[in-house]
Amino acid sequence: MRPFLQGSIFLFRKLIRYSCSFGIIVLLVFLLPRMMPGDPVANLVGEDIYLTDETKETLRAALGLDSPLHEQFVLYSIHLLHLDLGYSYHMHGAVSDILADRAGWTLLYIGISIIIGTCTGIYLGARAGFEHETWWSSLISSLALIISSTPPYLLSLIAMVIFVYHLGWFPFKGFYDTFHILSIIHHLTLPVLILSVFYAARNVLIMRGTVLSEKIQLYPLFARSLGIPERRILIRHIRKNAIIPLIALIALDFGFLFSGALFIEIVFSLNGMGSLMYDAILNRDYPVLTGTFLVIAIFVICANFIADILSLALDPRTRSHP
Amino acid sequence: MIPGLSNLNFRRHGYVPLLCIIVLTLLLIIALFPEQIAPYAQNKRFLPYMDPDNAHLLGTDDMGYDILTLLVYATRISLTIGFFAGGLSLLIGTATGILSGYLRGWVDDMIMGITDITLIIPKIPAIILIAAYVRPGIWILILVLGLLSWETTARVVRAKTMQISNAGFIMSARCLGFPSRSIIIQEIIPVIYPVILPKFMLTIAGAMISEASLSFLGLSDPMMESWGKMISDAFTHGGFIREMWWWFLPPTLCICISVLAVTRLGMMYETDEQEIVSE
Repeated sequence: MRPFLQGSIFLFRKLIRYSCSFGIIVLLVFLLPRMMPGDPVANLVGEDIYLTDETKETLRAALGLDSPLHEQFVLYSIHLLHLDLGYSYHMHGAVSDILADRAGWTLLYIGISIIIGTCTGIYLGARAGFEHETWWSSLISSLALIISSTPPYLLSLIAMVIFVYHLGWFPFKGFYDTFHILSIIHHLTLPVLILSVFYAARNVLIMRGTVLSEKIQLYPLFARSLGIPERRILIRHIRKNAIIPLIALIALDFGFLFSGALFIEIVFSLNGMGSLMYDAILNRDYPVLTGTFLVIAIFVICANFIADILSLALDPRTRSHP
Repeated sequence: MIPGLSNLNFRRHGYVPLLCIIVLTLLLIIALFPEQIAPYAQNKRFLPYMDPDNAHLLGTDDMGYDILTLLVYATRISLTIGFFAGGLSLLIGTATGILSGYLRGWVDDMIMGITDITLIIPKIPAIILIAAYVRPGIWILILVLGLLSWETTARVVRAKTMQISNAGFIMSARCLGFPSRSIIIQEIIPVIYPVILPKFMLTIAGAMISEASLSFLGLSDPMMESWGKMISDAFTHGGFIREMWWWFLPPTLCICISVLAVTRLGMMYETDEQEIVSE
């Protein structure tokens, strides 16, 4: 019972921190359009669109822009709680509807890439760290270093030139031609591949480091003295311990990976959240931009919370000393 | 000289760090003296979309600018953003880290709370959002990048400061009545710089990547010809679809090589540090 209690205290403290982070993010989104020079109505609904003065006045009243800041913030929070992220005059729809439409695709392809990337990253990184004096171990880690220090959009641009423009193996835009599973797979292969490779490269580097430092501890030596085969020491003993710091790091990295995924989407013109953000930037469509940012923040915070629960479940040490 | 360069040990690290230093020095020279190195003046225009030849080693872009000249001038901007944003975040991170590790108590709780809270905020989307409203010049960009990337430095510095602040030499300095300020400057910072340096390198790399990503979205200063901007121009003005590799490949390689060199140097210090700890 006690470990369970301590676990819940640990999660509760984390939860408070995450709510603070989310509060700051909401505050940022709230303050930016109102503090910037220029008409706040234009900052809130987006530029490059024509609105009659009458519409502007109704909007000003609806958004409460004439009332003091704290009242505006209360109004804004109430809107947020009703999942009302504003209305995009460019796309002629509520931002929350547009986002709900797009987020599924982005999550689908990021999810697949995370699974592939984590599995290959953990496998290769553990092997590379365990047999670190071999030539292929240093080859893998140098490759991982090169890939992880290239911005993902550059990786995808290069892959696009080679595989799409030059060789013509893959289609160059969209999620599908006809809504059919084969067509979707054909369109998604290259983006998923690039994101997985990028993801795996970062995991390889982290995993290699942790396995290297676990390897010099006493317990693998003891296991070896018992005559347990090397492969089993790696899989049964070292890898279990090395994965724990990886989980926290993956979660912290999630924001970075998510933005990488958005850039890959832009390059491949996939109609997910990344292209939505790109179009919003080009059109100065601020409601969509802030809405996307809020949704990304929510995803990142959820990922971190899941990682906390996972590390609590996998690592008995966090349960006894929160 | 850069402190710590003297313990470069080629037998242990191989010749890769030396190569990184050479690459960075070359880039630094290019960034400092672009006028002497670039073949043409920055605003001189020629026929657009020219293939590489002897007059234009890397051809010309859609506006008729010589690509090699653009590349040389872009070095200064990319490096400036990287180093200054890295420097700013190093300053904030080290200051907060040392304060919270040295003073402990409620200061520590508060600073670490703030650190944890900012750590979660997704950086690149936040920068995109801010940049979309502010339309930044180079210094605002540096400010935003620096302000959003200090937390990992702060954490590492704090851990290290806590570890050494009970050591004998700090204790004796305290007993002798030295003020905290001089203990921090004269005793703590010289000991923890091997932890700070790799973090500095990694934040430089991070800032350069963020800058390249932002200019790819067209969100950095439109007058600022950085490597990322060149790639973005090639992407939006048909350099990729025409497979004009001489247009998009050089800036790509420049970004990759400089980020790689900086990261690799940082990792060298990191492995050093681990070895010291395990000894």
